[in-house]
Amino acid sequence: MAGKPVRILAIESSCDETAAAVVEDGETVLSSVVASQLITHGKYGGVVPELASREHLRAIVPVVREALEAAHATLGSVDAIAVTVGPGLVGSLLVGLTYAKSLSFASGRPLIAVNHIEGHIHSVILETRRDATLVALPALALVVSGGHTHLFEVSENFAYRLLGKTRDDAAGEAFDKVAKLLGFGYPGGPIIDSLAPQGDASAVRFTFAKMKGNALDFSFSGLKTAVLRWVEAQPMEVEIAARRAFLRHHPQPSTEEWLALTPPHTLGLLASFQRAVITELLTRAAAAAGTFGARALIVAGGVACNSGLRAAAKSAHLPYPVYFPSPGLSTDNAAMIAAAAFPKLARGEFATLEIAAQANLTLA
Amino acid sequence: MATYRTRSEAETIALGQRLARELPVGGVVLLIGNLGAGKTTLAKGIVSGLGAAAADEVSSPTFTLIHEYGEGRAYHVDLYRLDAPAELATLGLDELFDSGAPVLIEWGERFPALLPERRTEIRIRSDGADEREIQIEHLT
Repeated sequence: MAGKPVRILAIESSCDETAAAVVEDGETVLSSVVASQLITHGKYGGVVPELASREHLRAIVPVVREALEAAHATLGSVDAIAVTVGPGLVGSLLVGLTYAKSLSFASGRPLIAVNHIEGHIHSVILETRRDATLVALPALALVVSGGHTHLFEVSENFAYRLLGKTRDDAAGEAFDKVAKLLGFGYPGGPIIDSLAPQGDASAVRFTFAKMKGNALDFSFSGLKTAVLRWVEAQPMEVEIAARRAFLRHHPQPSTEEWLALTPPHTLGLLASFQRAVITELLTRAAAAAGTFGARALIVAGGVACNSGLRAAAKSAHLPYPVYFPSPGLSTDNAAMIAAAAFPKLARGEFATLEIAAQANLTLA
Repeated sequence: MATYRTRSEAETIALGQRLARELPVGGVVLLIGNLGAGKTTLAKGIVSGLGAAAADEVSSPTFTLIHEYGEGRAYHVDLYRLDAPAELATLGLDELFDSGAPVLIEWGERFPALLPERRTEIRIRSDGADEREIQIEHLT
């Protein structure tokens, strides 16, 4: 491509992480800095908004400075400033958005507003651009995290159409709630994923009720309740109490430490639960892909890190390629926000300084 | 105090739709019950009964904490992940209470000091299968 490379500085603060990145031409990550609040939150078994906005405030200036320095860039050498405007927690979004506005105002660089969910989809677009293995469109995108479980059709020029979503709990939320009720720490997904291979995935049979209405919608609430009922019917209080007690003194136990505290029947429960979630995700994704003849499947969001989901998608032998972002780009980061902003910069889609944070922003 | 019984998810939603018409205007409604009791299911009924959104549009606000439906016609809050009252400080609950729209709150009973005294409490008990006992109490 002729001409000078285009550089975007992006800021993301919609939930757990304060992140900033500098990305060139929508494909080369010059820097990507993520200040995670995970350790702060681990103690509380969840993301705590009051702490979240306070932590974002503390982290935002050093994180942006570090992203610029690591990219050997300055505010004057970037072409635009991109920022997540929603969906997310208003208090958290505001920290990133307000800072991005002031940087835009001070530098005269245009401001680009990005939807967090579109960012997740672009974590895959970024890597495929870089590797010159472009995703064939239309593609199906499964965005799956603690707060989202959505299926989108992605067509030319990154136009989106919502095909299905969760009617109750998000998949990542189901992982977190099951982990919490069994006495494991936060976040639940990685812990369950690390223990599930040690258990018998056919130990507990979970069934999904047939969906009325849109057959491409998800439901994970029934599965969560089924796990709860199973646990209530077993004498598990002692092991659950033992894990909670351990967690109080060891905030981040290793897989080996968890294994020592988790008997085979519980490992079987975890393996069966994880398999049920994965089957639900992939079955509906494949059905959604079939409705419009998808030429590719994109899986993005924090749950895309799940090794069981990756393995199952690979062994499903779907008639189109399946793309996952690398783990560093699956969880919240700012490089994906810069990547989503790149086509908007080319189209001149800029935001004004009046733009507000939108907690319930939808993509389609 | 009124007590109802429902035998399925669909009946719980239908009950919520009926209750929506009886709720005090701009009231705070606590949805009280264990994990899996059916709090979000009842919220689907109430929110759709208020005409703020379709039942299918109402999902769990556990991660996102606050869902707004019908551009401020109803709010659905979930405090499951919060432990200390101080953690609610920047959530802006008071603004929601003053908005004049109904505010449904899951896991809110753990923070009585932060709630208006005038409120509706709905307790949902599950018998372990599909049946639910739903009890409504208006506090003044």
